[in-house]
Amino acid sequence: MTEINLRINGEARSYSVEPHHTLLESLRDDLALTGTKECCLVGECGACTVRLNGAIVDSCLVLAVEADGGEVQTVEGLAAADGLAALQEAFLTHGAVQCGFCIPGQLMAGDDLLRRSPHPSRAEIEEGLAGNLCRCGCYYQIFDAVEAVATGNAAK
Amino acid sequence: MRRFEYARPSTLAEAVGLLAHEGERARVLAGGTDLLIRLRDRTLTPAVVVDVKRIPEMAPAISESGGWVRVSAGTTMTAVMESQVMRTSFPALVEAARYVGSVQIRNRATLAGNQCNASPAADTATPLLVYGAIVLAVGSAGERRIPLDEFFVRSGVTTLGTGELVTAIELPMPPGAVRSAFQRRTRRRGHDLASVTVSVALADDGVRLAYGSLGPRPRLMVGGPGSVDGLLERAMSEATPSPTSMRAGPEYRLAMLRVLGKRAIEAAA
Amino acid sequence: MSAIGDPAPRGGGRGRVNGEQLYVADIHLPNELHVKLVTLPCARGRIGAIDATAAMQIPGVVAVFAAADLPTPMPRFGPQFTDRPVIAIAETKFHGDPVAAVAAETLDAAEEAARLVRVEYEELPAVTTIDAARANDAPLVQDPSIRKPNDRLANTNVLKEHVVSWGDLDAAAKHAELIVENTYRFPMVTHFAIEPHAFIAAPDGDGIKLWTSIQHPYWLQRLLAQTLQVPLAKVRVIAPDPGGAFGGKQHAKYEPLLAFMALKLQRPVRLVLTLEETFQAVRRTETEIKVRTGLTRAGKLVFQDVDADYLIGAYADIADRVVGKGSYIGCGPYNYEAGRVTARSVLSHTVPSTAMRGFGNPQVNWAVESNLTEAANQIAMDPVLLRLTNLAAKGDPFIPFDTPCDGDWAQATKRAAELAGWDKPKPEGRGRGFALGIKSGPTTGLSYSMVRLHADGSALVYCGTQDIGQGARTIFAQIAAHELGLPLEHVSVVMGDTGVVPYDQQTSASRSTVLMGNAVIAACKQVLEQRRAGRTGEIVGVGDARKEPDPDHPLGGSAAFFEFNATAVELSVDEGTGDITIHRHVTVSDIGKAINRLQVQMQDEGAAIMGLGHTLMERYIWDDAGRIRNLGAIDYRIPTSLDLPAEMISDMIENGDGPGPYGAKGMSEGALLPVSAAVAAAVRDATGAVIRDLPLSPERVWTALQERGGS
Repeated sequence: MTEINLRINGEARSYSVEPHHTLLESLRDDLALTGTKECCLVGECGACTVRLNGAIVDSCLVLAVEADGGEVQTVEGLAAADGLAALQEAFLTHGAVQCGFCIPGQLMAGDDLLRRSPHPSRAEIEEGLAGNLCRCGCYYQIFDAVEAVATGNAAK
Repeated sequence: MRRFEYARPSTLAEAVGLLAHEGERARVLAGGTDLLIRLRDRTLTPAVVVDVKRIPEMAPAISESGGWVRVSAGTTMTAVMESQVMRTSFPALVEAARYVGSVQIRNRATLAGNQCNASPAADTATPLLVYGAIVLAVGSAGERRIPLDEFFVRSGVTTLGTGELVTAIELPMPPGAVRSAFQRRTRRRGHDLASVTVSVALADDGVRLAYGSLGPRPRLMVGGPGSVDGLLERAMSEATPSPTSMRAGPEYRLAMLRVLGKRAIEAAA
Repeated sequence: MSAIGDPAPRGGGRGRVNGEQLYVADIHLPNELHVKLVTLPCARGRIGAIDATAAMQIPGVVAVFAAADLPTPMPRFGPQFTDRPVIAIAETKFHGDPVAAVAAETLDAAEEAARLVRVEYEELPAVTTIDAARANDAPLVQDPSIRKPNDRLANTNVLKEHVVSWGDLDAAAKHAELIVENTYRFPMVTHFAIEPHAFIAAPDGDGIKLWTSIQHPYWLQRLLAQTLQVPLAKVRVIAPDPGGAFGGKQHAKYEPLLAFMALKLQRPVRLVLTLEETFQAVRRTETEIKVRTGLTRAGKLVFQDVDADYLIGAYADIADRVVGKGSYIGCGPYNYEAGRVTARSVLSHTVPSTAMRGFGNPQVNWAVESNLTEAANQIAMDPVLLRLTNLAAKGDPFIPFDTPCDGDWAQATKRAAELAGWDKPKPEGRGRGFALGIKSGPTTGLSYSMVRLHADGSALVYCGTQDIGQGARTIFAQIAAHELGLPLEHVSVVMGDTGVVPYDQQTSASRSTVLMGNAVIAACKQVLEQRRAGRTGEIVGVGDARKEPDPDHPLGGSAAFFEFNATAVELSVDEGTGDITIHRHVTVSDIGKAINRLQVQMQDEGAAIMGLGHTLMERYIWDDAGRIRNLGAIDYRIPTSLDLPAEMISDMIENGDGPGPYGAKGMSEGALLPVSAAVAAAVRDATGAVIRDLPLSPERVWTALQERGGS
């Protein structure tokens, strides 16, 4: 076991991890942050997307020990203190949520895209979300939700 | 994943010493997007995983000096895509980096790692070949500069010696105008492993064409000015696509080498 | 107050966007053990000695279970035939069939130990294709001794043959001026729900409790009670909302094994499949379909003769029902003098196939609609006109012994053509394709709902339906709010626990809005009656909805409704590479009445995109030993955000003519049915290349372009 120190969703955590455990396993099993989902485990589906040191990653392809000293944000850390974040609200109002299993990853990717590009084109949205599979096929609604938040950004 | 020890050397010397000592028992971890898949499916079962990302020389950096652009081994595909010098002088490489995977993958996968895995389908291999890239490696015997064309042996195998560590990829700044292009073929529009990759670079003093996924390693062909169509014909006759691959049949791959080769030549011209 | 039809907010939506929603894998029980399955690297292997010595030496390993640890004779289970052993006995039947299961204190230990279980085995010849399974000397997948007595097919790999016919085919054939005959193939594909199946079993007093991502908690309860030989009341199934199901979570997979393990070890046991293991748990049938279509030169369809082989897996699961029901309506939504459908369930040494969105219909629909396109081409008739000319009108008994046509299908057809700009000139290089889809809704059903009107005027609605992503929670809340005259925010829906919610037969066949919706209305009416009678305080109402079986009907019951969809696509083809670019995809479903228009659109588009998956890119690839070569997400491709039509237009026809609440019909599968035929027709229109095999991968399209003759 190796001791690591992280900031997770703004909170400092120190704990021990197995070197061969991924960040995904550690979030879910060591920290009970089960909002981050497990599906393909080969970096193809994006269900395990989290933000690590300012960039989104597939947490199934990162060892927990690699995150030592870093800053991690998961879906649990997206919501504002006074309620859901604008993107979370937009996902609901635009019908982007069917079964919901891919949604934490979609939200992390959508949030990242909007940080990098506050007014993304449709092509940028398609590319920015291409690492997140939705088998329910809510892609267009997810695009709409991201666009709606971008439009809100413009209004600010 | 099978248990392993995790080592995080903080200096190059420490890393090289560790790799030399552990030999075949060790695997280098940079971006991890390929290594972790192989650890999970147990095609690799190292005793020690050596994370080189905290070594200062490996820190993400793209720098230019003395007519060369140096891309440190910790540099991700995202950084390659965002680099102004890369976009200006090596557009085919930037194009290829875009296709390496999703945003999540490109944020982790490194340009150096893409070469070290020595996949015949590696997207960035063919543009690096046509740009004349050099691999910088250090080992206990010191630093070596290995032309990329002499780096690849076959899938998963390079000429890197035991205990040697790649520290950077270097690209010669083109002396004049180089027109280059990258083309690839996949099973879907979304991110996918390539079943054919082609890059061409056309310069006043000669042309270079490289192709991947049509044999055990990416291949580079070099010719004089105006010889690019001939190079493509030679590539067609020398390519050896796998007869059993599930990603595409050999007939289709060969046909696509011609189609994509022509498109790349046209795009570069 | 939200009205029927409004895009009311998704029930359970908040937990799905803030990470709080608990799926089965997110649930942990104290003292639980982790289970890992042990499989062989071949399809069919004769199982010899199983040596667990090395595995048991891994710290934390508690038990290694194999056939010898289960009752004798080996308990078998299945929703239709009790043919599947709880764990493989004597021989494995497919790549992934578990021979043993390790239980350990940690998942690491279970995984490590599973690799150390030594299984002696002898690889046996396996059949993994339709041709191999139907060959005269084919090895038998199923031991004839477990077949019913007098089963004439017991010594073949045909599990069952289904024949439905009406009219006089020979006489009709004489009226046909043209007979178009072709063979079509549909690939083996998998559900790829983003949530892999997960199971937890725990002893519960003198009974058993299961947590599982399942569509039919009550059917599972019954199956477990039978398999464990305990009363129903001793089996409690807790079924959190699944993370996608698509038919793949209808029936028991590893629940019986987990239940036996939990009871024997007297500890909770959990098994979360990897995505690769889900490929070895559920799939759709591969199908080969021969179609003969007879018509006149004027475009009057005379007869249709369909003959289909569905390659089902090693155990029947619900696959034979998929074959019977999926092929049954294969002649399509048209009036014919005569029709005949013959369909065989062909056993093979492959993953047991099961229900998957469309339930056997997409395969035949692909063939029959493609053959109509071919026929239209041969008589130089517009393909939309050919379909409109023959389409059943409301009330037409298009299948004489079934529910007559229950919608204005011409309206949906014309609407799709109009949205696609069918009569407008095509842009340069584009091709257009058109196809219709039809599927029978549920043929039997029983749903109960209980509604509790609390003293403060808020209400709890209990439904045994599962919210698998279709948004059932939203729909039932909207219906109850409407019936009781309450704001939506004052209604909560309770689901997913056989110890709490009243009985519901199943969540499938796009039935829930109709059947459970009607049950919710009935329960609300009972509440209102009691209130009118002067009752105060908590009032409880119970309602039910039934679709009675008909033992004389070939499917055991007529269709409660039909799902009907018209799809049109416009695309271009890169002739150099074979790449298809879909510029516009129009889908129009006849839905009766939308309870929630946004959710209708989500389901409709989702079905269409899933249809694009098997149309353009999905298929299993096998090796000679019957192993799946493309296990997992790297080499089995499904559509991403970059693989969509540039424009998708989803529209709905609402005539209030369904049997459900306010005239609703089920609608979650229709838009998937015609996708393949519409896309292939458009490829043909654009390039002249005729393709009768799916998927329409770039390589396949390119190959067809090379072989293209004058057509």
